[in-house]
Amino acid sequence: MNPQVLIFTMVFAAIAGLLLKRWHAAARAVAVGTSGFTAIAAADAMARATDQQTLGWLVPGLDLGPVSLPLDLGTSRATAAVAFAVALVAAAVQVYSTWYLRDDDRYPTFAATVSLFTAAMLLLVHSHDLVLTLIGWEVMGWCSYLLIGHWSRKPSARRAAYKAFLVTRVADIGFVLGTVGLIAGAGTSSLEGVIAAWGGAPTCDPLGQCTGPDSVLRAILLTLLVVGVLGKSAQVPFQDWLPDAMEGPTPASALIHAATMVAAGTVVLAALFPVFAQAESARWVLGVSTAITMLLAALLALGQSDLKRLLAWSTVSQVAIMLSALASAPAADGPDAGLFHLWSHALFKSLLFLSLGLLGVVAGGTAASLLRGVGTRSRLGRWTFLIGLLSLAGVPFLVGGLSKEHVLAEVYAGAMNRGPGLFVLCSLLATVVVTAAYSTRAFLVIAQTANDEEPAADAASTDAQPNRTDAVRRQGRGPASAVLVTLALLTLIGGLVLVLDLFTLHEASWIWLAVTVVLISVGCGLAFALGRSGDPGVRCAGRHGHRFDTGFGADTAYRALARAVVALARGVAFLDTEVIDGFVRGSAVAARVSGGRLDRAHRAERPRNGAWLVVAGLLALLALGVFAWR
Amino acid sequence: MTSHDIAFVATGVLALVGGLLAITTRQVVHAALWLIVALLGVAGSVLVLGAELVSLVLVLVYVGAVVVLVLFALMVTRAPIGPDRQHAVGWVRRLAAGGAGAAVTALLLVVLVPLAGDWPGRQVRVAPIDSSAVASDLFGTWVWPFEAVSVLLLVALVAALAVSRVGAPAAYRRKP
Amino acid sequence: MIHALLPIALATGLVGLGVAGVLMRRNAILVLVGVELILSGALVLLVASGSLGGARYSVNSVLPLFVITIAAAETVVALAVIVAAFRARGRIDLDDPAPVPEPVPDPGQHSTNRWIVDTEPGQHSTNRWIVDTEPGQQSGVPTAGERP
Repeated sequence: MNPQVLIFTMVFAAIAGLLLKRWHAAARAVAVGTSGFTAIAAADAMARATDQQTLGWLVPGLDLGPVSLPLDLGTSRATAAVAFAVALVAAAVQVYSTWYLRDDDRYPTFAATVSLFTAAMLLLVHSHDLVLTLIGWEVMGWCSYLLIGHWSRKPSARRAAYKAFLVTRVADIGFVLGTVGLIAGAGTSSLEGVIAAWGGAPTCDPLGQCTGPDSVLRAILLTLLVVGVLGKSAQVPFQDWLPDAMEGPTPASALIHAATMVAAGTVVLAALFPVFAQAESARWVLGVSTAITMLLAALLALGQSDLKRLLAWSTVSQVAIMLSALASAPAADGPDAGLFHLWSHALFKSLLFLSLGLLGVVAGGTAASLLRGVGTRSRLGRWTFLIGLLSLAGVPFLVGGLSKEHVLAEVYAGAMNRGPGLFVLCSLLATVVVTAAYSTRAFLVIAQTANDEEPAADAASTDAQPNRTDAVRRQGRGPASAVLVTLALLTLIGGLVLVLDLFTLHEASWIWLAVTVVLISVGCGLAFALGRSGDPGVRCAGRHGHRFDTGFGADTAYRALARAVVALARGVAFLDTEVIDGFVRGSAVAARVSGGRLDRAHRAERPRNGAWLVVAGLLALLALGVFAWR
Repeated sequence: MTSHDIAFVATGVLALVGGLLAITTRQVVHAALWLIVALLGVAGSVLVLGAELVSLVLVLVYVGAVVVLVLFALMVTRAPIGPDRQHAVGWVRRLAAGGAGAAVTALLLVVLVPLAGDWPGRQVRVAPIDSSAVASDLFGTWVWPFEAVSVLLLVALVAALAVSRVGAPAAYRRKP
Repeated sequence: MIHALLPIALATGLVGLGVAGVLMRRNAILVLVGVELILSGALVLLVASGSLGGARYSVNSVLPLFVITIAAAETVVALAVIVAAFRARGRIDLDDPAPVPEPVPDPGQHSTNRWIVDTEPGQHSTNRWIVDTEPGQQSGVPTAGERP
C-alpha cells in the first residue's frame, strides 16, 4: 500500500466530515469507515514492510535554483510500524467518540479534525523530505489547537488551546530555523540528501582545508531542531501546556496528547538520527532536558488531584523516556529503541485515556475525589485501566515493560560512551520507581472505596459533564467497549511485534530486568504503604497539593515572560510611532511651517522684505556668474 | 612691505573699523559720525594710491555734504538721543545680515583675487596723478558725461524739492 | 610699490559691510549709510584698477568723481522721500506692514487708516495724490486751475 493512499484517505475524510456537518449519522459513518480502512491498510503495509526506501511522490517536486525540494515520501520497517500504531489509535478514537460525543452538537467537526490530524501525522511519519515534515508538523499543531478548544464555550478550554498553540509555536521557531538551515546547507530538502550532506564527520587534510559539514553549524542547527521538538513534546521548559490541554475531550487527548503528536518529535529525530548522533551539544541539550523532565513529571503525577492530569504528566514523563533513548544511543545503534517505546506507549496510553474516559462518565468527572471506588461499579473499566497501568509501570513482558527494557539497555550502552547517557541513566532508574508509585496510586484511587478520614478534595474536574443522563451513558457503549478490549489485548500481546523484526534493537539484558523488577516493587510498595489510609497522592502532597496542580508555578513563569515580551513590544511600538514616525511627521510639519514663512517673506509687504529680496537676488546672480563662468 | 603698504593698511583698517561700527551701533547719530570716520579712512587710502583730487572731493562732498544731510534728516525724523529702542533688531537678523555680507565679500574676492596673481600678489607701481591731467580728461574726453551728470544733479534737486512738498501742511502750499 | 591684494581686500570688505548694513537696519536713513559704504568700496576699486590692469583710457580719477556725484544726487532724493514719508506716516520703520488700501470712507465718517490723512466731511483731501471723486465728476489728477 502506498503511503499516498493512507494520507489521501484521511484528507478526504476530513473534507467529507466538514461537508457533512449537519448529518451526524453520515459523519459517523464516514469517520469510522475511513479510519478503519486506513488502519487495515497500515497493518497490511506493516506486515509487508521492507528496508528503507524512498518511493512515490505526493506532488511533483520543486526546483528552486540553489535548492531543490523533491517532496518525496518513503517507508521503512520502523516507519511502517509507527504508521500502523497511528492509524490504529486513530481508528480506535473515532469509534470511541461515536459513543463519547454522542450528544455533542459539533461532533462532525471533531471527527473531521481528527481525520485531518491523522493525515498530517501520517504525512510526517512517511515523509522523506524536510518540507513535508514541516507541513505535517504545523498542521498537527493547528489541529491540536482546534481539538483542545473543541468545547469552546468554556473559557478554560479556550485558554488551554491558546496556551498550547503559543508555547509550541514559540518552540517551533527553533524547529523552522533548524530545518531551513539544514536544507540550505544541503541544497536539497530530501532526507537522503540532508543526511549525506550533514551526516559525515569533517575531515581536515594537513594543510588545514576541511571538507565535510561544519560541525559547529551542525550542532547549532540540531540544537534549534531539538528546541522545537522539546516544545511539541512538552519537555522542560515547555512542559506546562500539556496538562492544561486536558481541557479537550478525552478521545482527543488519547489521540494527540498521548499517542501521536507529542511523539512526533521522536519520529523526526529518528529520521535525522545519522545527523543527530554527530551533534554532541544537541544530544546534551536533549539528554539534560529529558532527564530533568522525566523525574519532575513523574513526581508531579504523583501529587495531582485529577486523574486525567495525572495521565498527562505521565505522558510527559514517558515521552521524555523515548527522547532520552534517542539522546543517549550510540551512533551505531540507531534510533529504534525510542521508536519502539513510542509504539508501545501509543497503545497503552490510549488505552489508559479511553478507559479513564469511561470511568469518568460513570463517576461524573475525573477528579480523584469523584473517582474513588468507581472501579467497583464498572468491571470493564477496572480491568482495562489495570492492564494499562501495569504496562505503564513497566511490568515485564507486557508491551510497556518490553519497550522500557530496551530503552534501558540503550541508555546503558550510551552511558558507556561519551554523551549524556550516564545522567539519563540515573534519572531513568529513579523514574522507574516513581512511575510504579503513581501507577499504583491511580489504581488504588479507583479500586478503594471512599474512606471517612479522607479530606474532601475540592479540585475541579477537567472533564465534568454534569448534565449527562444515565441513559446516554449506557446507550451505544458497544463499540467503545470493543475498542477498549482490543487495545487491552494488544497491550498484553503487543510484545510479539518484535517477532516481525521491524525494529533493530539492542540486546536486552537479564540483569537489567532483575533491577527493573526490584525498582518496580519498591515503587509499588511505597504507594501501598502511603495508601493504607487513603489516597497516597494526597498523603504525599500534603499541604502543597495546589502546587502540584499548577506544575510548581510554571504557568506563572510563562505569564511573567509573556508580560515582559509584551512590554518590550510596547516599547518598540512607541519607538516606531513617536521616534521614527516623528521624523516623518516632523518633515511634514517643517515643510508646512517653512512654506508659510517663505510665503510671508516673499510678499514684499514690509519694506525690509524688499531689501532682503534685492540682496538675495544680487547674491544669486553673483554666485551664478562666479561659478558658472568656468 | 613698503611704506605705501603700511600707510594703506593703516587707512584701510580705519575705514573698515569705522564702517563696522557705523552699521552695528545702536545710536543713530553715532552711526552717522562713524560713517564720517569710515569715509575719512577711504579718503586716506585713495590718497595713498595717488589720486589726490578724488580724495579731496570725497572729503568735501561725502563728508561735508552727504553726511551732514543725513544728520539733518535724522533730526527731522526725531532720532532719539541714546540707544534707539524703537528700531532695535534681534541677533538672528544681525547674524543673517552678516552672513549675506560675508557671502558677497567672498564672491567678490573669488573674482578679484586672481587679478593680483599668485601669492603674495604682484606689486604695482603707485604714481601720483596729475590734477591737470584729470582736468583735461574731464573737460576733454569726458565732457558729455560731465554735462549729463550736471543735468542729473539739477533733476535730483528739483525732484527732492517736489517730493518734499507732498503731504506738507497747507500753510506751505501754493495758495490758489 | 604696493601689493595689489590690499586695495582688493579693502574694496570687497567695504562692499560686504555695506550690504550687511543695508540688511541690518530698521531705520530707513541708516540704510543709506550702508549704501554709502558700498559705493565707497567701489570707489577704492576704481582708483586702484588703473595700476592693476592698465586702463585704456586714463579713467583713474574721472570715474570716481562721477560716482561721487551720482551718489550725492541719489542720497538727496532718497532723503527727500524718507522725510516725506515720515511726515505722512509719523514713522520710518522698515518693519512696518505695507498700508492696506482702505475703501473710500463715508462722508461723515473719519477714516481709521492713519496712512490716509484725515479729511473733514464734505471737504476734499489736502493730499493731492488721494483723489476723491464725487458723483458726476471724472476721476483723475486735478489739472491746473481746479481746486486743489
